[in-house]
Amino acid sequence: MAELRCEGVAKSYGTRAVLRGLDLVVLEGTLTAVLGASGSGKTTMLRVIMGLVEADAGTIVVGGSLVADGRRLNVRTDKRSIGYVAQEGALFPHITVAQNIGFGLARSERKQRMRVAETLQLVGLDDSYGARPPQELSGGEQRRVALARALAPRPRLVLLDEPFSGLDAALRADTREAVMHALAQEGATAVLVTHDQAEALSMGREVAVLREGLLVQHATPTALYRQPVDFGVARFVGEAVLLAGHASSGRVTCALGDLNVREPVLEREVEVMIRPEQIELTKEPAAEDGVVLARVIDHTYYGPDTVIRLALESDPSAIVRSKTFARSIPVAGELVALAVHGPVVVYPRQRSRAETVLNGEVAKSTRTIGKGEE
Amino acid sequence: MSAHPFPYRRTRSGIPLGLLLLSVLAAVIVVLPVIVTVVQALQGGLSAVIHAIKATSSRELLSHTVLVAVIATPVCGLLGLTCAWFVERTRLPFRKLWTLLLVAPLTVPLFVTSYAWAELSTSLQGLLGAAGVIAFSYYPIVFLLVAVSLRGMDPALEESARSLGLNGRQTFFRVVLPQLRPALLGGLLLVLLDTLVEFDAFVGLKFQTFAVDVYSQYQLSFSASGAAALSLLSITLCVVLLFGEAWLRGHANYSRLGPGTSREPINYPLGWAMPLVLCALALVVAIGLGIPIGMLVYWFTQSSHEGYEIASENIHYLWPATLTSVGLGIGSAILALVLSFPVAMLAVRYRGRVATIIERATYLSFALPDLVAAIALAYAASHYAHFLSGGIALLVLANAILFVPFAVVAMRATLGQIEPALEDSARSLGAGPLKTLWRVTMPLARPGLAAAGVLVFAFVLGDISTTPVLLPPDLYTLGTEFAANSSTTAFAAAAPFAAVLIALSLISTYVLMSRFGRTRTSKRRSRMKHG
Repeated sequence: MAELRCEGVAKSYGTRAVLRGLDLVVLEGTLTAVLGASGSGKTTMLRVIMGLVEADAGTIVVGGSLVADGRRLNVRTDKRSIGYVAQEGALFPHITVAQNIGFGLARSERKQRMRVAETLQLVGLDDSYGARPPQELSGGEQRRVALARALAPRPRLVLLDEPFSGLDAALRADTREAVMHALAQEGATAVLVTHDQAEALSMGREVAVLREGLLVQHATPTALYRQPVDFGVARFVGEAVLLAGHASSGRVTCALGDLNVREPVLEREVEVMIRPEQIELTKEPAAEDGVVLARVIDHTYYGPDTVIRLALESDPSAIVRSKTFARSIPVAGELVALAVHGPVVVYPRQRSRAETVLNGEVAKSTRTIGKGEE
Repeated sequence: MSAHPFPYRRTRSGIPLGLLLLSVLAAVIVVLPVIVTVVQALQGGLSAVIHAIKATSSRELLSHTVLVAVIATPVCGLLGLTCAWFVERTRLPFRKLWTLLLVAPLTVPLFVTSYAWAELSTSLQGLLGAAGVIAFSYYPIVFLLVAVSLRGMDPALEESARSLGLNGRQTFFRVVLPQLRPALLGGLLLVLLDTLVEFDAFVGLKFQTFAVDVYSQYQLSFSASGAAALSLLSITLCVVLLFGEAWLRGHANYSRLGPGTSREPINYPLGWAMPLVLCALALVVAIGLGIPIGMLVYWFTQSSHEGYEIASENIHYLWPATLTSVGLGIGSAILALVLSFPVAMLAVRYRGRVATIIERATYLSFALPDLVAAIALAYAASHYAHFLSGGIALLVLANAILFVPFAVVAMRATLGQIEPALEDSARSLGAGPLKTLWRVTMPLARPGLAAAGVLVFAFVLGDISTTPVLLPPDLYTLGTEFAANSSTTAFAAAAPFAAVLIALSLISTYVLMSRFGRTRTSKRRSRMKHG
């Protein structure tokens, strides 16, 4: 497998710019998840890397060889040696599973059947699958076969286009595990495109966030989750609470008290991004100084955790969310104490919001926006 | 860092260069007779053209032609649409049989139907019969296209409409019908264009249309330039209609928004209306299929002794005529497939202005009466490609050209169902464009190719306007033999030829109805499971 290096890749359809100078480096043998909302240019990016769509500008290098250079060079898809796992697999319906997997192999290798059996095993399916028509396979099995088919000819790079879409949760986890295992075994360099942040964070060694045709952040999953470059990225990779605050010397003061800042900034007005799971609540609080009190509005139960909406006592119009593993869920109207664990992230405050501060409406600018906005 | 040695050649619009060139070549071949005719007509000077047009009663004949088209086309649309809806969307018993019977009239040779109607009643010899023959022979085109469209429609659309409080009728008019618009318009355009230059359908009815006039002009005077001059009228009409249709179609997008659901569509119970619907369908079949077959039987049974004698003499000619017809049909079908495949591929995979222009250019094959196209090709061959002149290859080419638009339509219906992701996957696995075509697209499209081929085959069997001009003198077909004998007093002499023609057409129908608009693993029968 080989390294992928995209530089300044741009593509427009008419006046609509879909990719606007995209830079992406995927190191040999690693998986980078590209996370983007629908319409962010994910599919176009994959098609440009594959060579199905010609870029207007920019270069793409796979394993040291230049495969695309603006309008000057566009190596044919079939000469790029880039494996592709389409959404829902796109298995050829007219041939068997084994023939599907052997499709990209040279005739001699196809006849030996060694590689077919090997890759079938690699994705966790036994030999009996080979003779079956793809229609008889479940959705998860189809995705595995699609990966086996892409890996069989030992491509330099594998592209996975939302490979788990449409699978139910349990099947998704199983399939994901099988795919990760197969990719690791082959030492594959892979790009996985998805709109599902959990998938991106759990699978990628690195995660790149694509927004409006640009990669806005490219980092390890933990760095991305803990230190998103802006609030947009923050709420795209997870739920986030945003409060107005004042930062000074490594700390920030906001409605939830005096908090640690992950990356210190100069003294200024800021917006504070807190993950709901950082906010812990205690029942039957003591009315001491410095304790942040809040009243429960309602809660949403997710099983492993519960998201509780709270109105701050200091200003009932400021609403925050807490995500906790709660054995006993507080009832609506109950008074609780809030505490923030760990450092928070601050962003420079936008002017429009500064004006609201001047008008004395700091609290109203409080926002809680999460992925699961109910 | 080394540059890769395989640059990929595409045009600005993203269309692979090879595909574009092949499609343009196909379009040029199809348009060739039109170009030759225009040149021929203008060679005599503009005044000669005006003279030729004025000299004949062309204005009246043109109005006849337009009148038939204006009456027959909407009837075709209505018949095709209603029949398709009842077959695809209601709990009709014997659906497959109904499809077979409803498609069959398309492949029955038009001249056989024409003579049959003329023999049935003298009152049908005229506008009524002409419009009737066209309507009941061509509605299957609309039927097939609408049926494919109905099958491909996301059932959730109708279900949503019902949940929003629309009743069955409202759902049909506000949701289903708008979705069917492209199929319906496409089918109607084919019928309309074909009617304007139709000759075979009117041959028995003695109904004077434009093409009939051109034909008799040619037979009387062998004046190719006169026929060419007259054809300028039909060329103009065809071009105007093509532009009109493009304008009418507009830019609305009817493609599925997502993969949609893969359930069986709603099938409405017919309830008390069942006998009524069955009677109506039976009536359509009786007129479309019953009349030609019935008259054939009648010709056999009611003929005079003299008629039988001629018939038994003619039997010797039956086998060679069948061989020639089938050979011609197969040859033309294969050539038509070769010409139309790149055009259909372009239209399905690279939708846009370029694809539309090329696809619609092939419709110019309808700009000329078949006879004039044949003359033009004969003329072109004798001047520029002498090796083709007088041979059967020219006839094969002429027939292929004439039916390319039908082949394109039939192929599009199937190619449109093949997911592009399959081709993309093949490419990513190292298969080049040709290999992808050979190993993925063609195998999947095989039913559609068969349908397109069989459609051309059946039309070639039923042709008697190009064949007489281009057929080498020592050969004869089922069609020419039928025509030669139908002018004698006894139809019994012509009947055996018609019988073989109809038998072949019924076989074609079976292939057509079971394969039109389907892929190798049809979505409906064995769609991949998800999740």
